[in-house]
Amino acid sequence: MQRQQKKKRENIFRIFTSPYARQFIKKYKWNYLIGIAILIVIDVLQTDVPLIVGDTIDAMERGLFTAALVRAQLIHLGIIAVIVFLGRIFWRWFVFGSARKIERDMRNDLYSHLQTLSASFFQEHKAGEIMAYMSSDIEAVRMVFAVTVMMGMDTLAIGVSTLYKMMTRIDVRLSIVAFIPLILVALTTTLLGGEMHRRFTRKQEAFANLADFVQEKLGGIKVIKAFVQEKREWENFDCSNRAAQDANIKMARMAAFMFPFMRMVAGFSMALAIAYGGYIAILGRITVGDFAAFVQFLNMLVWPMAAIGRIINIMTQGSASMKRLETILHAKADIVDGPGAVSRGIPAGTVEARDLTFTYPGEDRPVLEHVSFTLEKGRTLGIVGRTGSGKTSLVNLMMRVFDPEKNMLYIGGREIHEIPLADLRRTIGYVPQDNFLFSDTISANITFGDRGKTQNDVVAAAKAACVHDNIVDFAEGYETMVGERGVSLSGGQKQRIAIARALILDPEILILDDSVSAVDTDTEEKILQHLRETRAGKTNIIIAHRISTLQGADQILVIDEGRIAERGNHEQLLARNGIYADMYHRQLLEKMKREEYAL
Amino acid sequence: MSVKRQDNATVNRHTVRRILRYGKPFLWWFVLVLALVLIIVRLELLQPAILERATDDFVGKYVDVSAEGISLAALKQMRAEDLRGVILLGVQYFVVSAVIMLLTYLQVSILATVGQKIIYNMRTDIFRHLTRLHVGFFNDNPIGRLVTRVTNDCETVNEMFTSVIVNTVSSVFVLVGVMVSMLQRHVQLSLSIFTVIPFIAVFTFIFTKVTRKLYRAIRARISELNAFVSEHVSGMKVVQIFTAEKPTMEAFENQSEELRKAHIRQLMCHAAYSPTSYLLNLVSIGILLAYGGNLVVTGVITAGTLVAFQRYMTRFFDPIQELAENFNVVQSAAAAAERVFWLLDTVPAIQDDPEAVSMDSFRGHIQFKNVWFAYRDEEWVLRDVSFEVLPGQRAAFVGATGAGKTTIQNLICRYYDIQKGQILIDGVDVRRIRLEDLRRNIGQMLQDVFLFTGNIKDNIRLSEQDITDEDIVAAAKYVNADPFISRLEGGYDHRVIERGAAFSAGQRQLLSFARTLAFKPSVLILDEATANIDTETEALIQDALGKLMEGRTTIIVAHRLSTIQNADKIIVMHKGEIREEGTHQELLAKGGMYYKLYMLQYEHGIEPVA
Repeated sequence: MQRQQKKKRENIFRIFTSPYARQFIKKYKWNYLIGIAILIVIDVLQTDVPLIVGDTIDAMERGLFTAALVRAQLIHLGIIAVIVFLGRIFWRWFVFGSARKIERDMRNDLYSHLQTLSASFFQEHKAGEIMAYMSSDIEAVRMVFAVTVMMGMDTLAIGVSTLYKMMTRIDVRLSIVAFIPLILVALTTTLLGGEMHRRFTRKQEAFANLADFVQEKLGGIKVIKAFVQEKREWENFDCSNRAAQDANIKMARMAAFMFPFMRMVAGFSMALAIAYGGYIAILGRITVGDFAAFVQFLNMLVWPMAAIGRIINIMTQGSASMKRLETILHAKADIVDGPGAVSRGIPAGTVEARDLTFTYPGEDRPVLEHVSFTLEKGRTLGIVGRTGSGKTSLVNLMMRVFDPEKNMLYIGGREIHEIPLADLRRTIGYVPQDNFLFSDTISANITFGDRGKTQNDVVAAAKAACVHDNIVDFAEGYETMVGERGVSLSGGQKQRIAIARALILDPEILILDDSVSAVDTDTEEKILQHLRETRAGKTNIIIAHRISTLQGADQILVIDEGRIAERGNHEQLLARNGIYADMYHRQLLEKMKREEYAL
Repeated sequence: MSVKRQDNATVNRHTVRRILRYGKPFLWWFVLVLALVLIIVRLELLQPAILERATDDFVGKYVDVSAEGISLAALKQMRAEDLRGVILLGVQYFVVSAVIMLLTYLQVSILATVGQKIIYNMRTDIFRHLTRLHVGFFNDNPIGRLVTRVTNDCETVNEMFTSVIVNTVSSVFVLVGVMVSMLQRHVQLSLSIFTVIPFIAVFTFIFTKVTRKLYRAIRARISELNAFVSEHVSGMKVVQIFTAEKPTMEAFENQSEELRKAHIRQLMCHAAYSPTSYLLNLVSIGILLAYGGNLVVTGVITAGTLVAFQRYMTRFFDPIQELAENFNVVQSAAAAAERVFWLLDTVPAIQDDPEAVSMDSFRGHIQFKNVWFAYRDEEWVLRDVSFEVLPGQRAAFVGATGAGKTTIQNLICRYYDIQKGQILIDGVDVRRIRLEDLRRNIGQMLQDVFLFTGNIKDNIRLSEQDITDEDIVAAAKYVNADPFISRLEGGYDHRVIERGAAFSAGQRQLLSFARTLAFKPSVLILDEATANIDTETEALIQDALGKLMEGRTTIIVAHRLSTIQNADKIIVMHKGEIREEGTHQELLAKGGMYYKLYMLQYEHGIEPVA
């Protein structure tokens, strides 16, 4: 327990000592200094108000209450009001505004770093997790740079200034007596704040569980109905529902205790002020005005005392979040330009694999084993194989989405690691399997790889991908938004836009990763025809399940369980009567079956 | 969905009444809470009064004695009565504070507990209602949205009780109490100080209105940014392959900056509002000192009253802010309530007939008589379909996608009601059989096997506690699922995560067989999977299937030739109609659609899977 406490303390300061955080402190140093200076000025000014009230009351008692005095006091109040009014606006701008800037900078840093990380990182860290870093962790750190700074300074300035004025202007012993219970307020927020946070986390977890439960059960509603489990699920739901209820009640009870408790302690302070303050007033040590001012001072102290606990809690959470953020920011980009990588222009379109074997990190069985082939410039390579046989892995290695070992892959005659990443990827135009498009206009999606392309280029690419006609049918043509906020495209349309996106780059090597599967056979034939025309002299790699897609390829590799099982052109492979021939016949049958039914 | 989120949408009276109905069982608790609030407010108003008495009766009296220069001891003795009095007042203040704390704790705890119970009841109602709704409903309504009804919307509706009702009452009490206490002391002084209230009220209402808009803008920006991140993280491969990091980063920075600006707008709005209330506070202090000071000097009020006034004044601000916020809460609670009630008002399309008959088991005689069915309007999916399957028979349905095979299966289990004709099981119309009995006696296996998070056992017995562990193992053994389950870590207790993503299609099939068998159905309905399954597992599946079908009427949507050939009856569907019907041999002899299909397959020399 002791050690844990100590550890916590180290963590708290980490947020200001870590080099990453210090860089922000340095960058926004002046903003913070100005903001804090303003804050201190207005805090000290505010502590004059009780004294004004107290002095005026004394003046009344002593018969010194004149129009001139009233005017002077009102002017004093007016000056305080104006300065505090402006000061409060400005320090917020300087302190909270800078914290928002830090938040933005951190978010940009984080995202920018994510872009350098490779596929293996994103396999380990799912989108949901990254979103959590982006939102709640950054927010927790921002809270430190905004609220903690503000509260800390406020506590310090108001606290010290109030205590100082209470002691010097009123009475030292009274101040100490009345202040002691207020320390309890600080202790309460510090000690119970942690428990409060734990209960809050538990409440959030229970809520998430409930949501997951409902999400899953509704997803499987058909099973539940088929097996008549509705009433049983009511009981299961009851458990999650009750857990959420209990966690919420626990949290609420804590809050119900904490805040009234703090108010009670403040009340105790006031009670002491009345009893002891009244006592010494009767004995003539303080005046009635002093007493009135003192009561107001006490009121001003409660908030800064409560803030101490919150500051500690926010800093604890902020430090934990900072640590998490740093693990991402320090995650090393593992696929980078090798030491020997020199740009010698875009490599030519030849691909050679020499006994390529590859195992995904963390797996024990290789996905590719002893794969060797040579693809000449201007030729077309077809790749077939069952799901999971290693086809996509092969092209992933060519693009260094995953990193092959040295001396296994050669592009344009150069060992793949000797080519700078940017050059390598500019050699290749890729059409992914999941035809991933972004929520942007169709035009922006097509020019994704090169924003400099003209509208003519876009149209030409769309025509080659046989999607131009579809696009112009949309009300906004090429400016139509894709995705949730726009039109929902069919699988085939998405695939063809993804093809246009690759074609517009006119790459040395074009890779179609099962990219025409959702396109009907006639359109597929047209696209392939266009490819033959526009890609003359360039290299193509076509992965497909449909034999019809790749039967025109110069060379076809049949991959089975990571090995090349058969190779040759269409006729050679048919003659072999192996896997390829079997697939061909099955697909022919399917096709005929469809045609038959269509009668 | 006809729910509009409008700023000034009038809150439907009917909706409010319906929300209140959820609070009805807790009526007395609410009465208690309100009573507590009343007492607390009364006690809180007492605190400045104690201060006032202390000032006037004891502290203020110092003047007349201090001048005379008596010794401290003598003074103590002389004013022993007063000293005791002031200490007593301190004790009083102490006790009042403690009682307030206790009562506040009680009040807040009770209210929170009651609120949670209301949420609990509401959630139970919604979830139960959801399970009663027909399958088609879930195709039309995204599940994510339905989950929100159960989770967030209930909490928002509940704010109506926990925030609105109690806070409004308490705020009004405080405001009225403070005003009355002040008026009792001096009417004109009170009225002159009350002049700041309209300003506070107006500023507060403007502020809450503006911030609401600004917050909405912030939320919109946040969700935009989140969407951007989640999309680009999933599509990072594309970003990197197309070397589009730079333009993407620029787009991200833009959005990031937009979000910051939205935050700053809200920040500045708050920065302008918060000092305004301080300003008004100082204005009221000014009035108090100038006007109130005069009254003290002329002896109309005492200094203690001035102190009390000052304490009362600080309490104007919170209630007004609270009331302004409640205005927002009512709006959003009503909107959430409308969404929830819309759901609760959706009538389940499939319900038990009032005179539904109970059937313990089926012999398994299934008959379709001139059945017409459309999911929507007049888009007929089945047209005049009639067929009969005798107890124990296996009927295989063949046809292209969209021919209506799966629909037939859904109709037997009565997931939808037909428009014309009749579906009979053992001679009884399915609409007249208790739904529970109907579905219990039919074992339906879907093409996509849905696995729940939990363990293997849970996925076989679902939530049916009558099915023992022994039953589960026996069922799994019978359908050849035992060997692969036993090899899993933890065997039958192996955790199933992410809907069974770790299991192959074949393994999922076997699990679904075990699940179906454990429920001992009299009729079997099966949609054969078309997925790629390795030959070894395929053999296990075929063997298990044979055993499952033994002695049970089976309706099967078939893709495998072997399944089709072994059927007692083959029904060839085409565009919602039955094209041909008969045994394998009969249909071959007929030389129709089935024959052509078969010949195609035969010619290409593809061996039917054994």
